[in-house]
Amino acid sequence: MSNKYETFIGLEIHIHLEANTKMFCGCKAQYGDEPNTNICPVCMGYPGVLPMVNEKAMELGYKVARALNCKLSKNTFFERKNYFYPDMPKNYQISQFEEPVGVDGWMDFDTPEGTKKIRIHDVHLEEDAGKMIHAGDMSLCDYNRAGYPLLEIVTEPDIKTPEDTELFLRNFQRMVRYMGVSDGNMDEGSMKCDANISINLVGKGLGTKVELKNMNSPRFVRKGLSYEEERQADMLDQGKALTQETRLWNENRDQTEVMRTKEEAEDYRYFPEPDLPIFRPDQTFFDLVESGLVELPLTRKHRMMEEYKLSADQAEYIHDDLYLADYFEEAVKLGGDSVQLFAWLSSDVKKLLNRENLSLQDSPLTASWLTELLELISSEAISGKIAKKVLDFVFSDKKSPKTIVEEKGMSQVSDPAVLTAAVDKVMAANPDVVEAIKGGDNKQRGFLMGQLMKETGGKAAPVPLQKILAEKLG
Amino acid sequence: MNKELELWKGVLSDGTKKSKLEKYIKGWEEKIGSFLEIDLNRGAYDSNESGALAGIPFGVKDNIAVKGFKLTCGSKMLQTLVSPYSATVVSRLQQAGAQVIGKTNLDEFGMGSSTDNSALQQTNNPWDTERVAGGSSGGSAACVAAGLVPFALGTDTGGSVRQPASFCGIYGLKPTYGAASRYGLTAYASSLETPGILARTVATTKDVFDIIKGEDERDQSSLSYEAEGGQVKTIGYLKIEEGALNADVEASYKSSIKRLEDLEYTLVEVELPTMDYVVPAYYTIAMAEASANLARFNGIRYGYAPFMAENPNELMKKSRHEGFGDEVKLRILLGTYVLRSGFQDQFYVRSQKIRTAIRNDFEKLFTKVDSLVMPIFPTAAFHHGSSDLDSFQQKVADKYTCVANLAGLPALTIPSSVENGLPVGVQLMAPYFGEDRLFEIAVKAEEKYPAPQPEDFDLEWLS
Ligand SMILES: [Zn+2]
Repeated sequence: MSNKYETFIGLEIHIHLEANTKMFCGCKAQYGDEPNTNICPVCMGYPGVLPMVNEKAMELGYKVARALNCKLSKNTFFERKNYFYPDMPKNYQISQFEEPVGVDGWMDFDTPEGTKKIRIHDVHLEEDAGKMIHAGDMSLCDYNRAGYPLLEIVTEPDIKTPEDTELFLRNFQRMVRYMGVSDGNMDEGSMKCDANISINLVGKGLGTKVELKNMNSPRFVRKGLSYEEERQADMLDQGKALTQETRLWNENRDQTEVMRTKEEAEDYRYFPEPDLPIFRPDQTFFDLVESGLVELPLTRKHRMMEEYKLSADQAEYIHDDLYLADYFEEAVKLGGDSVQLFAWLSSDVKKLLNRENLSLQDSPLTASWLTELLELISSEAISGKIAKKVLDFVFSDKKSPKTIVEEKGMSQVSDPAVLTAAVDKVMAANPDVVEAIKGGDNKQRGFLMGQLMKETGGKAAPVPLQKILAEKLG
Repeated sequence: MNKELELWKGVLSDGTKKSKLEKYIKGWEEKIGSFLEIDLNRGAYDSNESGALAGIPFGVKDNIAVKGFKLTCGSKMLQTLVSPYSATVVSRLQQAGAQVIGKTNLDEFGMGSSTDNSALQQTNNPWDTERVAGGSSGGSAACVAAGLVPFALGTDTGGSVRQPASFCGIYGLKPTYGAASRYGLTAYASSLETPGILARTVATTKDVFDIIKGEDERDQSSLSYEAEGGQVKTIGYLKIEEGALNADVEASYKSSIKRLEDLEYTLVEVELPTMDYVVPAYYTIAMAEASANLARFNGIRYGYAPFMAENPNELMKKSRHEGFGDEVKLRILLGTYVLRSGFQDQFYVRSQKIRTAIRNDFEKLFTKVDSLVMPIFPTAAFHHGSSDLDSFQQKVADKYTCVANLAGLPALTIPSSVENGLPVGVQLMAPYFGEDRLFEIAVKAEEKYPAPQPEDFDLEWLS
């Protein structure tokens, strides 16, 4: 996009909270069950039922608001957001509007140009709708998801590029995972993100806002926004006016398409939910929120760079996954070298996990076993090459590296007597090669080393072996 | 337990008495049509047979959920719905032994003052079958007045228990908002309505209230019951403008004031400055809440659905178009109107301010008086159809009753006198959780002036 324009991007992020039960009834909040099995009169909107607030969800909502540096409400309340939708049982959604759990926060995230700050408008609790499936000339509704606890995070339009948006979202995902409030999976629908974008001539402030929906990964959010940024710039270049509208990202066509214009926008007719009292958390509740705070991903990344001398990219890789970050730090504590640990985790271990289709959590390789493997290398008990084989065996035999090296006799041979005997034997078997080398054909040395490794089953320690061979060849 | 309930105890477990009851009900129902559904056996399984009220029948307004019984709300929309659960107030009575024998008629979704807005059946007043039993709990009031049950449950959103109680000559209690759980009451105007009790004696009203009251975890707007207490010495009576009540009601109101003086209470005339704003504020809030509360009825999960629809949106539109009656549609439309963005300050927000002003009015008032006596409705039971009072006049006439709902205060209808063959009642009001004060006054009045009985009322077979 030409740099005469400035871009403003804001997000509305929804996360499913891991609060065990639904927001306003006791039904299980769980995916993948038979349709319409996790339902009751309350979440089906039967006449006469009343909502009961899920206190756990309330607590998680406040925790996220706190982690996003929001001003926490001392008297939050729910409101009814009215609109008709076939899979929404009450045809109003219990949500928050005037007094959400938190407002006026911010979140930092890292970009190639450094750390940036995005302001958070508000954090509010609400309930999800069900799911409608169209099958031929029928429409089927599954209400298992109806009433699922949702937290919506609304940012100010502070993000400047689609690329930054993707980075911001990934940092946000890491944050909710670190906090254990949601799994943050966009492809499974436990996290959703709608974006709004406007562009304008530099210095002119916000332009005409377009809302974008239906992007089910941070990457698609970036692609959708990039497409939209280009489209809007083209329109302005041609002197056309932009319309305030909602557009859908079509991932098959790689383009955005109009869903509805401003004129068709709903009037939600918010009013306070008369069935639920105002929630006034006491000090004990705020203490609980405070005590549940964890070190957030960005803080951890920066600490890891400082403490373990990792580069920004290395720390980015390690801190991306909470389990990996914990694993890494445990291994360091057990004496593992941080740079070596990064090297193994980001290449050989990763490759094996991919091959075996395992997560680090489910693999037999514990942090202490990986540390043990690194020790075997640094003490020269095995070579780096053998270590890769040992790692293979750890996965297949589920035994510690030491046990494998012992049982399979894989430790390096560095005893000069054994090595000298092998050199003598190989030289005796290849007199013409020896002659050629002595005549100055150094290329043949490699052949002799190969033969020697074969002779020792690959276990000869290379440095002393080469020394003895050199001496013998004179 | 009181003498009346003692008399009714075990009726449903005694074969002879049960068939006498059945016959008695049948005789009356041909004339009044108070029940939409009746079954003397079905409810037995859900009632505690060793409870203090074992074998005692009661009726439940058909907008209150009783598991296994229909929950029509007097609407074509829910004509086929059988409730999968029971309201807390019903469960508590069942736990105490009482047994539901049927569901009583009402104005569709509780919207009306005559029960003529029921889409399913007409209910007549036991005192004069040409006349309405009042509403919206008209079925509950009629069956109690005729002696078919010792008590029935109703709901009171703007007078829906007190006005039919007055029209039928019985007691009708609207408790303090939050004192009895709303769980299981089909919501019409959530911030205004409460479950209520219709009975022929103060003792039964009180005994039933003691069972149903108290906090319920399923209704987070319910509160644990702590009685206000305090003795009643001074009773305020509302100053009524000339001509506001029709002659019979005015005469009855005046004689009630005189009777209370005879009972050695000090009576003082009081005024409520906010009274003129009550009806618009009440209807604005009630309709706004109704527009959201009735949105759930869309023909998809239960209830009326059209024979066919092209798509889900058309299904919802057709269901609502064909399933709701005119009065319900009117209130949904008006409720939607007052909640539109840009119009809330003018209507909804302003009504909430009036509501606060009304509460303040009462707060001041109850520093001067211990209780309050007020008229209920400008007329006695009127004729079916709109010849006596059209639908707009009926709304304006809610003035005296809906004020208690706006303020959330307890109020009790007590029968006052019979004028030209029709009973007329007055209502007593008290501060929050002051139900005991209402009972105290009512018991004293009852000793001299018990509830009158319509012709053909005959419980000889009970003893
Ligand atoms: Zn449920």
